Amino acid sequence: MRLGILMAGIGLVLGVAVGLHLPLVFPQAYGKYIGLAMLAALDSVFGGVRASMEDRFDNAIFLSGFFANALLAAGLVFVGDRLGVELYTAAIVAFGVRLFQNLGVIRRRLLKK
Amino acid sequence: MIQRHFSIALVGLILGLLLVLQFRTANQQEPAVPGDRAHELTVELKALTTERAGLESVARDLEGKLARARLGYVQAEETIKAQIREAAVLAGMTRVAGPGVRVIITSRTGATPPGAIFAVRDEDLLKLVNELRAAEAEALSINGQRLISTSAIRLAGSHINVNLQRITPPYEILAIGDPIALRNSLEIKGGLVETMRDWGMDVTIETQNRIVIPPFKRPLVYDYTEPVAEASH
Repeated sequence: MRLGILMAGIGLVLGVAVGLHLPLVFPQAYGKYIGLAMLAALDSVFGGVRASMEDRFDNAIFLSGFFANALLAAGLVFVGDRLGVELYTAAIVAFGVRLFQNLGVIRRRLLKK
Repeated sequence: MIQRHFSIALVGLILGLLLVLQFRTANQQEPAVPGDRAHELTVELKALTTERAGLESVARDLEGKLARARLGYVQAEETIKAQIREAAVLAGMTRVAGPGVRVIITSRTGATPPGAIFAVRDEDLLKLVNELRAAEAEALSINGQRLISTSAIRLAGSHINVNLQRITPPYEILAIGDPIALRNSLEIKGGLVETMRDWGMDVTIETQNRIVIPPFKRPLVYDYTEPVAEASH
């Protein structure tokens, strides 16, 4: 079941191609938000690939997970900025841990085949 | 199957998009000002604002002092002008007025009047002026010639010169001062005027509330005299 990896790769290449042709520049202040959005997307992609390998991929869970995680992370950044506490590190740690877990599972699955 | 995995591609697309855009953003823009640097700048700004406020108050203070100094300058100028006016009055360079006496001396009329022994001479005028000065006359003139510190009264031929100007009878002496004191000094028993009357001159003395005395009309220039600083003791 390498379809997930394939789709993710195609999406990534397309995104990079589109991004290179868009003359957009984000305001510097949104750097944290962009970074967390990237982490959320990365987490979702790894999660999706893993799920599709395990044959239990669900579109609704995948998309709702992506948006819910991204929103929570953005909310943490926003509240953290207001409070002066860097709450978003919680999101970074959580995403990071899940990223490596998912990567580990995907690796094992690929090697076992 | 492909349709179900389409959302992975979508999220991957978003990821790629964000990656490129953020990469560009990070490369194009100056690195953000670090938090501690921002704090430092804020503190510096606050200090500079305080300093600026202090300097502004100093500037206001100095402006006030400058205004007062200008005021003082104006006052000093006024004082100097007043002193110049006063000096001009003392030197006899201005027309002055005040109470005083008017003395008119004439040789008695008629070719050989019975009592006329002498015509009026320079000495008579000198003595009169001397008498008036002794009675603290402040300003004097003879026939419109102001008497100042350098004035001379002398006989030149058959005429009398005052300030080197020829004057003719009748002789009119104007004096500003205490009218009673001036009059008394002249009319004292056995005094000058009595003597002159005895010698056959008509001397009329009028006290007046307001006598106007003209200024010294020629320039007053000292060619040889210069001031010397007073020795300090």
